[in-house]
Amino acid sequence: MSKIIASCKNIVKTFNAGEAEVKALQGITLDVYENELLMLVGPSGCGKTTFVSVLSGLLHFESGSCKLLQKDIATMDDVTLTAFRGENIGFVFQAFNLLPSLSAIDNVALPLTIKGVQRAEALTRAQEMLNAVGLNAKEHIKPSGLSGGEQQRVAIARALVHNPKFIICDEPTSSLDHKSGQIVMELLTKIIQEKGASMIVVTHDNRIYKYANRIVHMEDGKITKVAL
Amino acid sequence: MFRVAIEMLLHDKTKYLGLLIGVAFTAFLVSFAMSYFAGFMTRGFALVSENPSAKVWVMDSAVSSAEATINMSNSSLGIVKGVKGVEYASPLYLGDMTARYANGHFQSFQAIGVDDATLSGAPKPANLLRIPNSVIIDSGGTDGKLQTPIHKKDMWAYNGSHLNAVTRELRYGDEMLINSKRVVVAGVSHTIPRFPPRPLLYTSTSNFKRLIPGEKRYITFIMVRPAKNITPEKLAKRISKETGLKAITSAAFKKETVMWYLINSEDVGDMVNMVVLAMLVGFGVTGVMLYMFTYENIKQYAVLKAMGASIKQLTDMIYTQVFIMAVVGSGIGVGISALFGEAISSASFPFRIMWFAPFIGFLGVFIVSLTAAFISLRPIKTMEPGIVFKL
Ligand SMILES: Nc1ncnc2c1ncn2[C@@H]1O[C@H](COP(=O)(O)OP(=O)(O)OP(=O)(O)O)[C@@H](O)[C@H]1O
Ligand SMILES: [Mg+2]
Repeated sequence: MSKIIASCKNIVKTFNAGEAEVKALQGITLDVYENELLMLVGPSGCGKTTFVSVLSGLLHFESGSCKLLQKDIATMDDVTLTAFRGENIGFVFQAFNLLPSLSAIDNVALPLTIKGVQRAEALTRAQEMLNAVGLNAKEHIKPSGLSGGEQQRVAIARALVHNPKFIICDEPTSSLDHKSGQIVMELLTKIIQEKGASMIVVTHDNRIYKYANRIVHMEDGKITKVAL
Repeated sequence: MFRVAIEMLLHDKTKYLGLLIGVAFTAFLVSFAMSYFAGFMTRGFALVSENPSAKVWVMDSAVSSAEATINMSNSSLGIVKGVKGVEYASPLYLGDMTARYANGHFQSFQAIGVDDATLSGAPKPANLLRIPNSVIIDSGGTDGKLQTPIHKKDMWAYNGSHLNAVTRELRYGDEMLINSKRVVVAGVSHTIPRFPPRPLLYTSTSNFKRLIPGEKRYITFIMVRPAKNITPEKLAKRISKETGLKAITSAAFKKETVMWYLINSEDVGDMVNMVVLAMLVGFGVTGVMLYMFTYENIKQYAVLKAMGASIKQLTDMIYTQVFIMAVVGSGIGVGISALFGEAISSASFPFRIMWFAPFIGFLGVFIVSLTAAFISLRPIKTMEPGIVFKL
């Protein structure tokens, strides 16, 4: 068995939406291994997004424990956690979430800029990543000038530019047509093979199941099935 | 990150321009209102400004403005002249006079009586006041109040007043009646307009006495020029000490006069209220706009925070944006107010840019901007970066 990158035990998360309590996560236990592409699937509202938010240290949880790269994220303060995220995690969002004011290359360079990497070096590395996702000619174009598929490829380049150990993708293909979705998934699988990283992909899209090493099914805040 | 902040700010040109206009408008409003107010206040001490060689002013100890005055004893001039360091001292006498025009209309004037010997304090050429029974009149910032009939038949008519007679501006040689005594207009001057505006009438003290005989005391102010070896401050102190009269420098007197207006004049109070209101509205609008700008970008900040940007980095970004807005916007606003103000500055529209107008314009914008930035940091500090998945 390969090395465990992330380890969650009995995670419970409840939202207080006004009067009502929503039990979004009701005891999730899951390990994520090195170099695996894990897919998280399940009906809408079952808690997939909530789970990856907790796992990446974006959302606090009530009970259970969550270790990422041997670090207990529950005990980190906000500053440490933020820095930890910047160092080790890459994100790909359904809505791309590129900064509209920045060109493709500046968007890709952002994680490096945040870490304080020199601009020249950041741009060189960003350019390499853009080449890797096949957008070498579009580095100076702003997001509004790119197609959805291209924007998501920029987002992938951004998620990977700082060589994170762990990549989290929430519905990376569901804003895209079938063909762009396939391109995005092939890029993601190729890159984790080359760079060696673990990836969780939340998805509804069963046409991309074939890229998964493992598929975890969730329902009502619980894991119901793990399929290989 | 500064670059990112600036790109973010400049990205939406329309929004940026809107913000800039908002900030510029506030700075404009504030510095313009202040300059306008300063212009009015300058007119409040026009009498002092118009006698620049009088570096020290002596007055009754109860007087604290050039506006509300009481007279000193006639011996005070001699006493002040006797103080060492006084090179030159001449009296000014202020009073009210009502004149009857040839067509029967009447007009009240602020009368300024000057020393017969030197005529100092009278507009140039002061020698005109040596003509018997002569006065020099001045609109003092008013409009259309110095009028006399065009036609002979409307003047001093045997059948009473000709109030609807066609008129023209008073000029050299025209006559009026004051206290049923004839005076000759020897000249029309254009000195500094007054606040509040009112027609002025300069005459010699002896003519003043002839026109209004009842008075006992004919000295309101004594204007003093210090000798070369003494500063106005020192001389003022010395005069106060030796004579028991109030003696202050012209600069101090101007300040006191402004203070007097601020405290005592309802008009000025209303004006101050309006200025303050305008400032508050401008500041409020700017603050809200800046806040909204940050708030609209909160998604982007959430993305940055998810990617590892610290609160400090995000804070710096916001302060960078706000700082740029404040500098550029208030620069434009203060600049426009200066140009605009100078262009329309006139007798009926006082405008004077003093150091504090642009200063308060800048300062106000900065305070508001920083406050807005500070407030808009709250949602950024409290946001759960988890919202990035919900965007
Ligand atoms: N911030 C929140 N406040 C209140 N309730 C929330 C919040 N976020 C999520 N929930 C609730 O928690 C439950 C799980 O939501 P979550 O977003 O994790 O679902 P999901 O599996 O990602 O669904 P989808 O496939 O539609 O994205 C839902 O019932 C949702 O309404
Ligand atoms: Mg979701």
